[in-house]
Amino acid sequence: MLKLYHWEPNANSGKPMLALAEKGVEYESHYLDLLGFDQHRPEYLAVNPDGTIPALVHEDRVFTESTPMMEYIDEAFAGPALRPKDPADRWRMRWWMRFFDAYFAPSLSMIGWSVFVGPSARQKDPKELAAAIERIPLPSRRVAWRKALFNEFSPDELEESRRRVQFAIGVLEAHLAGSPWMVGESYSLGDINGFNLAYALPLSQPDKCNDQTTPHIMEWLRRIYERPATRQTWAKGRTRLAARIDILERA
Amino acid sequence: MLELYHWEPNGYFLKPLIALEEKQVPFVSHWFDPTAFEQYGSEFPHSVEIALNLDREGPVLRHDGVQICGSYFMLEYIAEALPGLELYAADPVQRYTARAWGQRLAAIGADVCLLGSVRYLQPRFARGSAAHVESAVAKIEPLERRLAWRALLDGGYDERALAAVRDRLGFALQRIEAALVASHWLAGPTYSVADIDAFALIWTLPELVPELVNARSTPHILLFLERMHARSAVQRALGYSRSGRPQEAFVPGAEPSRWG
Repeated sequence: MLKLYHWEPNANSGKPMLALAEKGVEYESHYLDLLGFDQHRPEYLAVNPDGTIPALVHEDRVFTESTPMMEYIDEAFAGPALRPKDPADRWRMRWWMRFFDAYFAPSLSMIGWSVFVGPSARQKDPKELAAAIERIPLPSRRVAWRKALFNEFSPDELEESRRRVQFAIGVLEAHLAGSPWMVGESYSLGDINGFNLAYALPLSQPDKCNDQTTPHIMEWLRRIYERPATRQTWAKGRTRLAARIDILERA
Repeated sequence: MLELYHWEPNGYFLKPLIALEEKQVPFVSHWFDPTAFEQYGSEFPHSVEIALNLDREGPVLRHDGVQICGSYFMLEYIAEALPGLELYAADPVQRYTARAWGQRLAAIGADVCLLGSVRYLQPRFARGSAAHVESAVAKIEPLERRLAWRALLDGGYDERALAAVRDRLGFALQRIEAALVASHWLAGPTYSVADIDAFALIWTLPELVPELVNARSTPHILLFLERMHARSAVQRALGYSRSGRPQEAFVPGAEPSRWG
């Protein structure tokens, strides 16, 4: 039995959700409320002791790194291939996924956490929040949550994140001006990865990502939005976070 | 035609040297000196991917006109595109495990590059930066690559920051130690790109951070390093050194997490 522990179809959780939907693979869905700290409760730590989301469980093996998890899904299950055959194209796909994961996403999420995750979580009792942070197993995640929950991002850090987001949007727009998909003529994990990061850019960064300034990003996002697997995946969303995808509906 | 642009056999530069020696495929070696900023010269390969490479300073592989950068993905490319010894198991679980290590080791590599650069490269700059160094650094694009050099020139890492890096590294090394208790090789029963990746990034640590890597704290890491040193491909790769002290050859690497 295949089980996926995930939050909203968004960022890291959305990557395996969308990859599985594209492959046509059924799975048992376990929704965890990230803002309710479900991922740090004992029953989930029994599955993934690091307390990070998502986690895929297949034949008693646990997979916890979302981007390698997508490659596993493509290798282990039947269905349409989601990686190019040519090794050089595969390298390009991986280069882009690292650019998304290690450059674009940390900056975009720092902004997102400062305006959404932090304020949402701060609705809770401060003592409960402090206890929740203490339960986080990974020291690096404790630091990240503390920064988000207590609004410890400095103005300089946030300004640098905004600069990087602007820069990364420019790099992506220039790339998509010459290619319909992240790598050549076929849809791949690179597109799935990028979409999970970028689908709400027209809403969260309207001055930087729009039909006039970044027409190729907009068209790429809409083409992915219109795929049946994307519709099916985002229908699993429960909050306004996932509902942001509606911005991609064509006028 | 296969060409590798590389520096001393350490860190990111050591990875493809080991993999190519394991494969025993002939290649043209182009040795360059990143501390002389030769990678920004007109003779060095250029592309968007190389400029924005998140390893910042690293090797470039040129294969029949395709330019490959990013040291872990370069290992995957070598494993998938070139004949010779299999460097990836056929089992998808082992392949996942290797890739997951690739992600974790990228963070470890960032910390190792920082500590090594501060130990060995920063004193060179501190002895008096020549005008040509200042001028070369001022021209580096993109900004992230320039700032890494700038921080070294300015002595921008205080002891508190370095202690935090060592703490983070110590935690990560204990995870490698735990994995090596269970298996001789990182990704499962067979030798793979994950072992090359790990060795290239941590082989210098018994000398660089002996308080973190030693017989008491990390006995299985030391045994792993011995197993790797015993491989003839690793010995040949380390033989590309011109200085005789590749374990002291560091330049700014990937950026440590901005989230702390």
